[in-house]
Amino acid sequence: MKNTIINLKNITKRFKVGDGEFTALNNINLNFQKGEFAGFVGPSGSGKTTLLNIIGSLDSPSEGQALVMGKDVAKLSHRESADLRNYHIGFIFQVYNLLPVYTVYENVEFALLLQNHTKAERHKMVMEALDWVGLTDLADKKPDRISGGEGQRVAIARAMVKRPEILIADEPTANLDAENAHIILKMMKRLNDELNTTFLFSTHDEKVMQYMERIVHLRDGEVEKDSIIVAEKDK
Amino acid sequence: MKLALQLAYKNLIGAGLRTWLNVAVLSFAFVIIIFFNGLMDGWNQQAKTDTIAWEIGFGHLRNDAYDPFDPFTLQDGHGKLPNTIENVSPVLIQQGTIYPEGRMVSVLLKGIETSQTVLEIPTDAFIKSTAKIPAIIGNRMAKSANLKVGDEVLLRWRDKNGTFDASNITIVSIFDTTVAGVDAGQIWLPLQTLWEITGLQNEATIAIANKNFVDASLDGWNFENRAVMLKNLDEIIEMKKISSSIMYLLLLAIALLAIFDTQVLSIFRRQKEIGTYIALGMTRAQVVKLFTIEGSLYSILAMIAGCIYGVPLFIYLGKTGIGMPQASQDMGISLADKIYPIVGVQLIVTTILLVTISATIVSFLPAKKISKMNPVLALKGKLQ
Ligand SMILES: Nc1ncnc2c1ncn2[C@@H]1O[C@H](COP(=O)(O)OP(=O)(O)OP(=O)(O)O)[C@@H](O)[C@H]1O
Ligand SMILES: [Mg+2]
Repeated sequence: MKNTIINLKNITKRFKVGDGEFTALNNINLNFQKGEFAGFVGPSGSGKTTLLNIIGSLDSPSEGQALVMGKDVAKLSHRESADLRNYHIGFIFQVYNLLPVYTVYENVEFALLLQNHTKAERHKMVMEALDWVGLTDLADKKPDRISGGEGQRVAIARAMVKRPEILIADEPTANLDAENAHIILKMMKRLNDELNTTFLFSTHDEKVMQYMERIVHLRDGEVEKDSIIVAEKDK
Repeated sequence: MKLALQLAYKNLIGAGLRTWLNVAVLSFAFVIIIFFNGLMDGWNQQAKTDTIAWEIGFGHLRNDAYDPFDPFTLQDGHGKLPNTIENVSPVLIQQGTIYPEGRMVSVLLKGIETSQTVLEIPTDAFIKSTAKIPAIIGNRMAKSANLKVGDEVLLRWRDKNGTFDASNITIVSIFDTTVAGVDAGQIWLPLQTLWEITGLQNEATIAIANKNFVDASLDGWNFENRAVMLKNLDEIIEMKKISSSIMYLLLLAIALLAIFDTQVLSIFRRQKEIGTYIALGMTRAQVVKLFTIEGSLYSILAMIAGCIYGVPLFIYLGKTGIGMPQASQDMGISLADKIYPIVGVQLIVTTILLVTISATIVSFLPAKKISKMNPVLALKGKLQ
């Protein structure tokens, strides 16, 4: 328990739907340790995104307690939750969400602008992050001039450049072909090893699952199965 | 602040055509607002200059019994000016009636020295004329009585004893002025002639001061200087300013609507971007600030663009003036053929401040909506 970075206790999330309510998450209890490489798997509508958003403090549970790095996300002020995301949590989205008017370099730098770094420090960090994902050559390109696979790699660099403790990736490969999916998963696994970042995925993708070291199966907002997998290469 | 400015600037430049369209609309609004006000100021200035040149001179010395707002005082409101008085041009005002085409038209007869130069009334036409009773009238009078140069018309008046007398007068000149006060319902005659036909030798109702006149209190006469006489006009101009400020506000509202529209639209169109900013760790306040600054940057860019083409335009128009259509002269307002817009620094600075401040406010209002956004929905692009 000493390295627990995410502690979910009796998490329930309900959404207002018309006059009634819809329970998207029902009494979830989970812990994640520092450096885990874990994925939420489940049919569409099972609550994967909802759970990731709560962990990322973009949303808060209706009931229960979500402790992320020791902080109860439901109790954070706007500022505190922004700070949590700014310094400790990276996001990767299915559709990359790169800022179209910025270059690749500036997109990655953006995450650092919100922190206090000198220009020289930022440059060093951005180039290093672009190097992790093998995109130093594309630094000056605009997002609409690069491929989808490259775009998602930029998103990884942007999420990782500030070296967050937690990286949240909601279906990161859904828009990618098999080759790019493997490239990206390998990169993320490498970063997970090197930086000891906790990675949390949501996915339908078999290719993604084969990289996971832990898979949490969700169904109708409940944990159906939670299994630790020993990676093949470690066997 | 610096970061928000940098980001806002990048976002605007990055948005390309959309930005420039907005900037064009806004800068156009800037220029029109300033132009319109400059035109009004120029018009007012001209009205003042004209009134001075045609009517006021350097002030009026009035017979105590005469009240310019009460025509009944004309009967007795005249007298002999002291011989010692200098630097004034006496004017005798009497009532009369003319009969153009058989109609009866009441007029004011104004006797003025043929040699005067203090007013623009073209009195040298009297000197050149050989008519028995030469008369000068303005355009409005000419139109209303249907008189042309060379026309003769029957004039009836009373002499000092109240006895009616009548004679034909000859129109020797018709002048064109913006000042109705020397034109409508008035007939200018040589002072000498008016003295003779009324028997009011050496009498005057008012006397128009020239620039060398020194006001020394005179028994039976009071002096009203130029500034006091202009007060009336100034009040009219103030009134006009109120109505023109409605136009000003209307134009401003259009410009602000353009910004407001863009801001509201962009908040919906850019939800995903806003969600991304928040996911990347921006606080809501930072996002609001970013969008507010983006909105006010429009007005700053518009100001720069407006200066680039507006300043040379104003300088040019200030020099050449703007021709006014002849038809507008019939609308009863004093309109010159040409108006020289006056665009002062004060006007420009006020407009810029006003537009920039209000642009910031109208950008802030929609941006505030962001602070209420659910970032999860924003990221999905599902906000309505
Ligand atoms: N804001 C909301 N309002 C109402 N219902 C919502 C809202 N967000 C999610 N839901 C519902 O909650 C359930 C879980 O949604 P969630 O997005 O977490 O599913 P998911 O497992 O990520 O699905 P997918 O694999 O399709 O992404 C769904 O039935 C969804 O319709
Ligand atoms: Mg989902």
